[in-house]
Amino acid sequence: MPFAPMLFRTARRIAARPDDASDIVQETFLRAYRTFANFQDGTNAKAWLFTIMYSIVSNQWRADRRAPVEVPVDELEGRFGAALSAGQPDAEQVMLARLDASPEVDRALRDLPDTQRAAVLMVDVEELTYEEAAAVLDCPVGTVRSRLARGRKQLFVTLADYARRTNAVRGR
Amino acid sequence: MAEHPPHPTDALQDAIDGHLDTVARAALDLHLAACPACRRELDALSWVKQQVREHAGDAAPVSADLQAAILRALDAEDRGTADVRSPQPSGHRGVPARWWIGGLTAAAAVVAVVWFGTRLGDPTVPAQVAAAFREYAAGSLTLDLRTADPAALEAQLRTAGLAFSTRVFDFGMMDYRLTGGGVHQVAGRSSAMFAYDGPAALRLLCQMYEATLEDLPPPAEQRSNDGIEFLVYREGDVTIVFWQEGSVVCVLAANGSAEAAIRLAFAKAVRA
Repeated sequence: MPFAPMLFRTARRIAARPDDASDIVQETFLRAYRTFANFQDGTNAKAWLFTIMYSIVSNQWRADRRAPVEVPVDELEGRFGAALSAGQPDAEQVMLARLDASPEVDRALRDLPDTQRAAVLMVDVEELTYEEAAAVLDCPVGTVRSRLARGRKQLFVTLADYARRTNAVRGR
Repeated sequence: MAEHPPHPTDALQDAIDGHLDTVARAALDLHLAACPACRRELDALSWVKQQVREHAGDAAPVSADLQAAILRALDAEDRGTADVRSPQPSGHRGVPARWWIGGLTAAAAVVAVVWFGTRLGDPTVPAQVAAAFREYAAGSLTLDLRTADPAALEAQLRTAGLAFSTRVFDFGMMDYRLTGGGVHQVAGRSSAMFAYDGPAALRLLCQMYEATLEDLPPPAEQRSNDGIEFLVYREGDVTIVFWQEGSVVCVLAANGSAEAAIRLAFAKAVRA
């Protein structure tokens, strides 16, 4: 079924509870079918479906009273700088390493604040433009950019640490 | 103490996401040549993007149960019933909703055409195949798996719950390189889809789905080769060639020369 795998993989990662992914995808298709008249001819159907899905998911976040748990910017920059610092001689190797650890990437994504995780998934996995992601996430483009930047830095801190702790680093 | 120029953090992000024009990229490269800190940040964040794409961009197999539940929900919507989770009445087929699902596979502009076309009872299967092809050629078709490895794609398709076995065609001898594929939709049915890039701007999209050639409209041309019948259609600059292999219909859509497209089909068709 077209778009279903794409919606399902994102729903699993973006939802408060991954087990809700099936219901979210089903509801997305149903709302899309009901509101097809709102679809603008010539626009990105994929982004339109994600807009519907994100609305469902963000309502769930609100119902669950999930408050964003964000690392303060200064603290994040400090952690990111430390992970990149010259005091860690294997940093470049870490960057070259190919993680063989999809569960670890999933855990790192899950640890991000909801809105940062959504921005990373929309841009890095679903390959939406900043403008399309802003429409999906119902926020300004600048907000998408900042969520993306913070999310990626936090992911680097987590994943680089994981890569160093495992055999993913070359030469170990 | 020497003053450092400000680090162009926005430009780094734009570079990672491919949003820099030539002039801005040149300016960034100039900065990067003199700023190891920015080089390391660019490498680090590019690495993160690569890891996320590689590990979170996997195709998520959608269970047959979920697909059935979605179709039941849409069928119920067609009937105007509220209880979308109730068991499906035996034999019910809500054609408009299912055609709508098929229409979603096409490019955004085409979706509306297919949608309204189906409501009027005039969507042809060749037109759907051509729409998917144009979407692929435009780079906007979602591939469940991007790979040049036929074995990897076949392994992916084996997990997709298709009711028939698939055979990913190898067009390497004809200079077409596999780029990926996945599960798609033709005539409201699940199809296995394989996408290829050829020389220059030549593209090729193949699909297999359970049906018979008798479901198709009259072709523009009918050919026979090695005992196999081929139905040939033209949709603008796209040539579409269908043939039957057992219970499965295979279809190939390609731009470029119609004769070359037909030869591609001849080369890969197998008598069931």
